[in-house]
Amino acid sequence: MEAIIIRDNIKGGALTETTFLVLLAVYKPNHGYGIMQFIDKKTDGRVVLGAGTLYGAINALVKKKWIVPYGDEFNGKKKEYVITDIGKQKTEEELQRIGEILKLASTIIIGGKSGE
Amino acid sequence: MSKIVYRYFFDFADGQEKWLNSMAECGFRLKKCGKISYIFDECQPNEYEYAVEYVGHKAYSQAKDYRGYLESMGFRTFTKNMNLNYSYGKVKLRPYASGMGRIAASPGGYNKELLILEKKRDGKSFELHTDLADKLDIYRWIKRAYTWAVLMILLLGTMTFIPNTSPISDIMILTVRVLLLIAGGLLLIPLIKYSSLIKCLKDEGKIYE
Repeated sequence: MEAIIIRDNIKGGALTETTFLVLLAVYKPNHGYGIMQFIDKKTDGRVVLGAGTLYGAINALVKKKWIVPYGDEFNGKKKEYVITDIGKQKTEEELQRIGEILKLASTIIIGGKSGE
Repeated sequence: MSKIVYRYFFDFADGQEKWLNSMAECGFRLKKCGKISYIFDECQPNEYEYAVEYVGHKAYSQAKDYRGYLESMGFRTFTKNMNLNYSYGKVKLRPYASGMGRIAASPGGYNKELLILEKKRDGKSFELHTDLADKLDIYRWIKRAYTWAVLMILLLGTMTFIPNTSPISDIMILTVRVLLLIAGGLLLIPLIKYSSLIKCLKDEGKIYE
């Protein structure tokens, strides 16, 4: 059984950072190493995914049909994956959730500072 | 020039990984490994680094797929036994695994519970599991393997106290008990270590991802 890494809060529906970043990395077809490079580059090295963790994330997302294998698996090429419509819907929901959290945090943190 | 070293690791994951990395630091690159043997070639000190991955809980097809994936990521891989052999012939029972992983046969996952991975040292971390949930998952599987090993030793130890079960002498029985006690103690150390790691990660998981 692979670790369940899709949600970090079932009720709130939040995706883990790993899941969200992997989904973003496969908006264009990408293979395992490419996904790792994408995440490393786009987060300026803040998030560096381990190969084992990425394998679990990819398998969990394929199982949920949020991403699917892309093209021929065996042509001397690395296995690529691409996001599905369900996957895109999940990332949009996550973006909205992050936006709401950002708004709330900004109101309290920045608002609190200006009120000092 | 090749160098052959014979080792057995009671801490098959972290302990073996540390040792392989210390060999690499001294300028030895793993060429081949057997059940308790390791053959090294000379290389530049610190040229390579190693990680040991536990796959004994996976079915053979899953472990094979995982190995292929890791090779596609650019790692050199070796399979290795972890030497918990409750086996008869070329079929091994792995009660600590999941699904089809509970039975390992040869050819197949027999004596291939570990993957040793090698990469050129590039200054980047060689951590295979970077997610708390993922780390917890792998440590739980390793802990399960040790728990079964300790339980099997306890069972064998208990059997030596059943009267008239064996024609062997009292001295032999005592020797067996002492050997089981030593083996049990050596397996208990990593079991406690991984249990404590799991507890720490659980506490971390309450705050961080």
